[in-house]
Amino acid sequence: MEYLLHLFVLFAVYAILGIGLNLITGFTGLISVAHAAFFGIGAYTTALLTTELGMNFFLACAAGVGVSVILALAVGAILSRLKGDYYVLGTVSFSYVVLGVLLNWEELTRGPLGIAGILKPSFFGLSFTSTLSFALLSAAVLAGVYFIARFATRSSFGRVLKAIREDEQAIGVFGYRTFSYKLAVFALGAGMAAVAGSLFASYITFIDPTAFNVMESIFILAIVILGGLANLKGTLAGAAFLVLLPEALRFVGFAPDIAGQLRQVVYGLLLVFLMLYRPQGLIGEYKL
Amino acid sequence: MALLAQVAVNSLIAGATYALLGMGFTLIYGTVKFVHMTHGVFAAMGGYMVFYLVKSLGWNMWVGIAVGIIVAGLFGWLSEKFVYSSLRRRRASTLVMFIASLGLFTALQSFIAILFTSQLQTLPESPFGGRIWEIAGTAITSTQILIIFVTALVYVGLRLFLDLTKFGKAVKAVSDDEEVAKIVGINTERVVSFIFFLGSALAGLAGILVGFDTGVHPTMGLLALLEAAVSAIIGGLGNLFGSVIGGFLLAFVENFGVMKIANEWRGAIAMGVLLLFLLFKPEGIFGKR
Repeated sequence: MEYLLHLFVLFAVYAILGIGLNLITGFTGLISVAHAAFFGIGAYTTALLTTELGMNFFLACAAGVGVSVILALAVGAILSRLKGDYYVLGTVSFSYVVLGVLLNWEELTRGPLGIAGILKPSFFGLSFTSTLSFALLSAAVLAGVYFIARFATRSSFGRVLKAIREDEQAIGVFGYRTFSYKLAVFALGAGMAAVAGSLFASYITFIDPTAFNVMESIFILAIVILGGLANLKGTLAGAAFLVLLPEALRFVGFAPDIAGQLRQVVYGLLLVFLMLYRPQGLIGEYKL
Repeated sequence: MALLAQVAVNSLIAGATYALLGMGFTLIYGTVKFVHMTHGVFAAMGGYMVFYLVKSLGWNMWVGIAVGIIVAGLFGWLSEKFVYSSLRRRRASTLVMFIASLGLFTALQSFIAILFTSQLQTLPESPFGGRIWEIAGTAITSTQILIIFVTALVYVGLRLFLDLTKFGKAVKAVSDDEEVAKIVGINTERVVSFIFFLGSALAGLAGILVGFDTGVHPTMGLLALLEAAVSAIIGGLGNLFGSVIGGFLLAFVENFGVMKIANEWRGAIAMGVLLLFLLFKPEGIFGKR
C-alpha cells in the first residue's frame, strides 16, 4: 500500500509537469525542452528556503512559483523571437544555463552534492509526514492544477492559444497581441512546473542537479505527446503509463537500472512510431 | 604566457572535434532542414563499436575503426530509410521530424547504456600511441594531433567531393531546392540517403577520436550533438566552411571563458553563445538569409 501511494505521488508530480507543458506545447504549439529547468527552479527554491531559513513549505512553494514565473517571463520574452526548431534549441540552451547555475553556484546550491534533509510540509500543526497524507496533498494539488488548466483552456484565453497554434498571423490580424498570450501561457506552465518541483523536493527530501537535466525535459515532453497534444486527460494517462512502466518492467524481472533505461527505449520508440502514424498522440486533438 | 599558449592549443584540439561533428551535422541539415538529434548518438555508437570490437573482442584496431565508422553511417542511413524519408514524403513539419529524431536519440542512447552500462569506458590506445609532445611549453598528445589532422583532411576531402564531382553538385542542388532538383532529374532520395550515411559516418569518426582522447559514455551523444549544432549554427547552417570556423570559435570562447571560472560552466557558456547567435544573427557568420 505504501508502495502504491509512493507511485501515486510520483504520478501526481509528473502529471502536474505534463499538464503545464501541455498548455505550452499542446494548446499553443510551442515545443519547449526547458520544462525540467522550471521544475528544478521550483524544487531548489523550496529546498533552500525550507532548509536554510526554516520557512513553511507552502510559503516556500509560493516563492518557488514566483521565481519560476518571473524567470519564465524574462526568458519567454527573449525566446518568443525565435521560431520552429530555433525556438526548441533556444529552450535547450536555457536549460543548460540553469543546469550550469545549479551545478556551479556552490555557495547557494551546494553544486553536484545537492541539498539533503528537506522538510515535509506542515500546515497549522497538520504535518504531511506519512506517505498517505503526502499522497492526499499531491492529489489535491494535482486536482487544483488540473482545474486551473481546464478553466484556462476552455476560456477565451484558451481559444486564443489554440488560434495561435493553428495560425499565428491570422489571429494577429484580428488584433490579438499573440506575444502577450504566448508569454502568459509560458509563465503559467512554468509556475505549474515549480509547484511540481516543490512537491518533489519535499517528498524525496533530497535533490541534486541531475534530476533536472535535458533528458528529464524530454521525458516530460514524451508524457505530453504520448497522452495527446491539447488533451489534459491524455496527459494524465501518459504520466500514469510512463511512471508505472519501469515498475512493471521490474515486476517481470528486469534489474532496476535496466528497467529505467528500458523505459527510455520504450518511450523513444513510441515517439518515433507516433510521429510516423499518429502525430497527435494517442487521444490528442492537435497534430504537430 | 605559457598558460595562454596551452589554452590556445586546447582550443585548437576542441575546435577540431567540434568542426568535425559540425561538418557532418551541417551536411545533413543542409539537405533535410531539420535538427536531427540522432547525430550525437551516432558519434557515441562509433566510439562504442571500437570499444567493443577492439577492447572486448580483440579485433585489429584499424578494422575496428573502419567497422565503427561504417556502422554509424549505416544507422544514419537506416534512420533516413525507415523514419525520416516517409515523414518527408508526407510533408511532415520540421517539428514532427525533430520529435521523431528525439525519440530515436533517446531509444538508441538508452540501448547503448543497457548494453555497455552508464559508466565511462576508456578505449585502447589510439593507433599512433599515447605519446605526449612538448612544443614551446605546451603539451599535446599524439591522439590530439591526430584529431586536428583528421579534421583538416575531412574538410579538404568534402570540399573536393562537393565541388568537383557530379554527385557533389547534386547534393548542392538538393540543398538549394529539393523540388527543383527532382524536376531536373536528380534522384533526390538517393542523394539524401547517401548524405545521411556520410554525415553519420563522420559523426562516428568523431566519436571514435573523442573516445581515444577522453573515453566513451552513453550520454556523450547529447553533448556531441549540441557541440555540432552550435558550431553549425554559428557558422551558418549548411555551410561547410562555416561549421569549421564555428567549431573553432566555440572552442576558443569556451576555453578562454573557463580560464577564470570553473570548468563546469563550459556547457552554459556554449549555450549562451548559441542563444546570442539565435537572437542577433540567426543566419550565422557565413549563412545567407
